[in-house]
Amino acid sequence: MEDLPERPLRVLLAKLGMDTHTVGVTIIAHALREAGMEVIFTGLKQTPEMVAAAAVQEDVDVVGISTLSAGHTRSLPKLARLLREAGAGDKLLLAGGVIPEEDQAFLTEAGVHKIFTMGADTRDIVTYLRGWWAERQAAEAA
Amino acid sequence: MNKPLGSFTVANDNIAGEAARWEAETRGPFVAANPERRDPFVTQALTWPIKPLYTPADLDAVGFDYLTDLGFPGEYPYTRSTRPNGHRSQFWTMTQVTGFGKGQAWSKRARYMLDQGLSGLILEYDLATTNGYDSDDPIVEGEVGRAGMALDSLEDLEAAFDLPFDKLKYLMSVCNAPQPVNLAMIIAALEKKGVDPRDFVLHIVNGILIEYTCVGRYIYPPEHGLRIAVDCIEYIIRNHPNWAPLSIISAQLQPAKANPVQEIAFSLSIVCAYIDATLERGFTIDEIAPYLNHFVVNVDMDFFEGICKLRAFRKCWARLMKERYGATRPEAMKIRLMTSPTTIALTLQQPLNNIARLGIMATACALGGAGDNMTTPLHDEAHSLPAEEAIRVGAAIQHIVAYETGVAETIDPLAGSYYVETLTKQMEDAAFAEMDRIFEMGGATKAIERGYFQRALGREQYERNKDIEEGRRKWIGVNHLTLPEKKREIEIFRLDDTMEEEQVAKLQALRARRDQAAVDAAVERVRQAARDGSNLVPACLDAVKVYATHGELCNAMRDVFGVHAPDSQLAGV
Repeated sequence: MEDLPERPLRVLLAKLGMDTHTVGVTIIAHALREAGMEVIFTGLKQTPEMVAAAAVQEDVDVVGISTLSAGHTRSLPKLARLLREAGAGDKLLLAGGVIPEEDQAFLTEAGVHKIFTMGADTRDIVTYLRGWWAERQAAEAA
Repeated sequence: MNKPLGSFTVANDNIAGEAARWEAETRGPFVAANPERRDPFVTQALTWPIKPLYTPADLDAVGFDYLTDLGFPGEYPYTRSTRPNGHRSQFWTMTQVTGFGKGQAWSKRARYMLDQGLSGLILEYDLATTNGYDSDDPIVEGEVGRAGMALDSLEDLEAAFDLPFDKLKYLMSVCNAPQPVNLAMIIAALEKKGVDPRDFVLHIVNGILIEYTCVGRYIYPPEHGLRIAVDCIEYIIRNHPNWAPLSIISAQLQPAKANPVQEIAFSLSIVCAYIDATLERGFTIDEIAPYLNHFVVNVDMDFFEGICKLRAFRKCWARLMKERYGATRPEAMKIRLMTSPTTIALTLQQPLNNIARLGIMATACALGGAGDNMTTPLHDEAHSLPAEEAIRVGAAIQHIVAYETGVAETIDPLAGSYYVETLTKQMEDAAFAEMDRIFEMGGATKAIERGYFQRALGREQYERNKDIEEGRRKWIGVNHLTLPEKKREIEIFRLDDTMEEEQVAKLQALRARRDQAAVDAAVERVRQAARDGSNLVPACLDAVKVYATHGELCNAMRDVFGVHAPDSQLAGV
């Protein structure tokens, strides 16, 4: 077993645009907190600019976007670009919600690191984040 | 035991003793040899323990009394029915959800539906409109015309209302946060069409308090949201007394995982906030309650939770009106329910299974009293736009329940069931206890400001999801009897850039040609009304008639009220 990380993972969760479906993001927030992570929620109706600024200001490790609207093919690449421009390209950018399979390669190419679609088990998301965090810390220590 | 000693109680004491004997001698030894399937057995949403057996002793334990708890149909407390003859004279009105597609096609689709003999329609708007933005606001890029009609100015409604108003007699409009602007636009458009408002019913949902609680299409802080909603209620009662100024869509709390007690308590405490604010405008409870008693309620798959919820809803409303407000008119104490099987019980996997689910939930709706109206969603709703076959089956489900099962042939046929009456009474008691907590906080508006509802629902969302992930709740096709995952065919609504561009061009052309000085003056009068507390509807009416836009008027109110921006804690996340 890896040693547990010394400080908790900090996660910013956000909703972009006018999509106001919050059940998914709420469940994720509770699951991550229960797993010992620090979770900040931006609230609804955010622009990519607002989320990028919040990610930098809150100094989070992970940015998770919940999207159940078709706007993700525009807003997610824009957010990835804004994060890189702000020198925050090392933050893990996650997307979840309704994201059709045919969009996923495009989004990955544009800088989204991992996509969890609707129905994903919260335990898998926690496992993925713990794995990523352990790797990141090992890389930093090396 | 609360009751005085009488023959009934003595008999039930005997039953309690006998039940204990049965447990020790008969059931206990059996269960020791045959362990139970579940430990514990619980109801689906409330997760209340379910006993193996209910007897008259349980009715005593909850203090059940036939005359005070049930009474008779059409009479206080209306537990058995608000109708004197249940559904023996008429069935509930059977309605059907039908997808509308793009906003621009609304008028055409509406004409088609009116030709099919329908006389009522629901008008839904895109997220730009319901969140109070014009189509050319950068923040709504990609949303224009998607979830419903794009409504920027009176011009759009004039086009949409190219309809035969001799056939259209009822229109429901769902535009909660910008309600005074939306109401004004509809009134102005009807005036232009020469429609006699006395010969037509406009029903505005006006459900801003539910938006703060779980839906999220809010603009202004809650106290201002409530004030503008009550402006609309007051305007309608005074000017269009045959219209309907409010619907409490408890059916939005339910998909947000409100359990039945939360649904009843949250919905009713929310309606109390509207009632209290409307009473301050100089009305009596008997005048306004019949305007504020429309509720839309979903039923989920736990059969008895669903049935008991509908029975408890009727009774809790009646008690609230009588005990809290001193209502005296029967019309004030009778709730108007519209019921529906919930879409959140339906699965994307194995969609034909959903037909069975809909049949069972529609039966529960009917056994719970159905209400004035029942709507059935479509079994393949999760997959694609409504297909003809799904629409036909959806309608048939209600007819099968109504004509083939016999459940509507006697009034409230499950009354007197030891389990049903115990659960109904427990829900009622728990709902009143929860309402008392909310009233102690200062009512629903204060509870929203403190994030109380949002946090309570957030916890339910997490816990109920865990029940499924960890297999405590079996969901066929999801975590039980699953099939190897096939590639799911989901029709994704793709952005139609041309439609958005056309709408934006139309709006900008309007801005270029209208009388800008008149618009500026009218918008300023709306800002002034927002500031000085006078009713916003007349000011909005003047403004929309000179083609001030939806977004401009919503922004004028933003200038005065500010915006609602809850953090994690207040959002329940």
